[in-house]
Amino acid sequence: MITTMNKEIMPDKWYNVVPDLPEPLAPPRDSKNDISSINLLNKILPKEVLKQEFTFRRYEKIPDEVMDQYEQIGRPTPLVRARNLEKKLNYSGKIYYKYEGATATGSHKINTAIPQAYYAMKEGVKGVTTETGAGQWGSATALAASLYGLPAQIFMVKISFEQKPLRKTVMNLYNGNVVASPSNLTAYGRKMLKEHPDTPGTLGIGISEAVEYALDNDYRYMVASVMNVALTHQSVIGQEAKKQLELIGEHADVLIGCVGGGSNFGGFTFPFIPDGDDTEIIATTANEVPKFSKGNYKYDLMDSAGILPEVRMYSLGADFVPPTIYAGGLRYHGASPSLSLLINKGRIKSDEVSEEQVKDALKIFANTQGIIAAPESGHAIASMISYVKAHRNEKKTIVVNVSGHGYLDLSIFGEKK
Amino acid sequence: MRNLIPYFTLGYPDNETLTHFLDIMPVDKINYIEFGFPSNDPRYDGPVIRKTHNVGNSNFSDEVYSKYFEYFHKKHIKMYSLSYYSDIRNRFDSFIDYLQKRNFSGIIIPDLIIDYFSEGKKIINKLTEKGFEYIPFFSPATPDSIIKDIASITNSWIYYGLQPSTGIDIPYELDYTTERINELLPGREITYGFGIKTDEDIKNLMKNGGSGVAIGTYLVKMIDANDEKGFVDYINKMRGVLDE
Ligand SMILES: Cc1ncc(COP(=O)(O)O)c(C=O)c1O
Repeated sequence: MITTMNKEIMPDKWYNVVPDLPEPLAPPRDSKNDISSINLLNKILPKEVLKQEFTFRRYEKIPDEVMDQYEQIGRPTPLVRARNLEKKLNYSGKIYYKYEGATATGSHKINTAIPQAYYAMKEGVKGVTTETGAGQWGSATALAASLYGLPAQIFMVKISFEQKPLRKTVMNLYNGNVVASPSNLTAYGRKMLKEHPDTPGTLGIGISEAVEYALDNDYRYMVASVMNVALTHQSVIGQEAKKQLELIGEHADVLIGCVGGGSNFGGFTFPFIPDGDDTEIIATTANEVPKFSKGNYKYDLMDSAGILPEVRMYSLGADFVPPTIYAGGLRYHGASPSLSLLINKGRIKSDEVSEEQVKDALKIFANTQGIIAAPESGHAIASMISYVKAHRNEKKTIVVNVSGHGYLDLSIFGEKK
Repeated sequence: MRNLIPYFTLGYPDNETLTHFLDIMPVDKINYIEFGFPSNDPRYDGPVIRKTHNVGNSNFSDEVYSKYFEYFHKKHIKMYSLSYYSDIRNRFDSFIDYLQKRNFSGIIIPDLIIDYFSEGKKIINKLTEKGFEYIPFFSPATPDSIIKDIASITNSWIYYGLQPSTGIDIPYELDYTTERINELLPGREITYGFGIKTDEDIKNLMKNGGSGVAIGTYLVKMIDANDEKGFVDYINKMRGVLDE
């Protein structure tokens, strides 16, 4: 049962942007000629998750069991006016941040991990599996699975596995099994290890391994991002933020978030889309992964092995191996189809920031607000700071989504990169 | 009479077999028929129908099929073409002229408002001017505003695909699906397609106000098995279920 205090802010439905898009979303397409990779999803995802992936329902009721767990892991998350930062930047407008780092696992990822694990458990499958970059998604998956008594097999991108041993400890504490990807657990992993023994790994390879593992072991695959269903679950962020703003009589002029696959960004901003065009929305990526400026808007694979269907999105190519940047969660080659469409139509703008800007932003945010944000979230903060500088006299109300905390990513401040 | 619309890709599996199935089809049980003009890139079809396009492409012959177009026309069966815009874009006018000459009533273009959205309305208006029906094709992913908008500039029946592509099986809520489309387009004739197999599906769709169904993938399977009796029985049975 949700306590009265939280009930006012927490939505009891998820919001799905698809019926409100300005143009039809191109359907997913089979990536192979002879079999249907779309049909194969029936064996990869829990039925209810699959249904929600293809639904056009604007609102989907959040099951009571999921609502309860949302509250247990710290929802609603705070919306804070960053007065110290405003002062530091000498800004005459207002800056708010929504803080997803306040959840139990330290990021927004738990918002979709809980319902996906819940539906998997209800279906009676043997376990769940997924990939993870920086480790935030793997941690969320491990905890959610553990809450519902399911084993979790996690494929962690090799470079992160090596650079972030503490993440592995966290996942183990949540009862997750973690291997470095590419791994020996799957045929695709073994092939990669043979062909590219020195590969740092990519999210695309990790996804391929997890999907193969799910198919071979009667597990279900947990979708971190990109697919619509993950963005729908994440809509709790934006709906809460809207309600919190409403309660204090504020209206958001600008929304800023970072984009890996688009889940925290879509979850944060899409609930504002039906309200009209007067809120400016900015999606920030890393300079090193310039999907919106240098990528193509086309059908492309979500995973490198091509087991999952192709979707139309901004993509740098499924075999794109991004530099091993400090923000593992932003290394993905593409971005969610609904977000890609809204960018393509100009409803959402994009921005790119450099590592230098991100580190500065993280430092400023830490010593003004006390929050050590995740490097991924640092992109949104950096983008917000440059927005403030460019619009100094406009007195806007800016809301930025801080998707996670960065306590396990502190090494970026010690190394040269 | 509710719409029973069998779908065939022209030229599949070969001209002889297909024309034989057209010969034995109980024509009095159908009122519309949909012919797929083989596409080079049938990207919004599932594997079964995709294969028919690839094969059909090398077999299609106007000489063979014009007689059949004539035959169905005489039997008062309305013919619709299923064509991908990507294939006909460069010869759009001549292709429509051809269809009109062959007495087709209209066209279904699955990729038009997805891949060529900005050209969509112009093309639809052009078809209307030519007195040719544009059959709006919608799916679960079509936004509400687009469904209303496109439907409002056409008068024909609507083709609603229940699945993201043909012949696949993603779980969906039938009642909610029909409720949504009825609410968006009150009073409009809605024919459902994609992934319809059982009597139960059809009964429920009709109970919820559907005006007909299109059957494709399932027929291909019977053609593949050369199951003449199964094919004829199936058409007869579906008519029975529709009119219950
Ligand atoms: C804290 C944090 N923010 C953002 C992202 C990027 O993913 P998405 O774009 O799906 O929100 C990640 C992914 O790992 C993350 O851990």
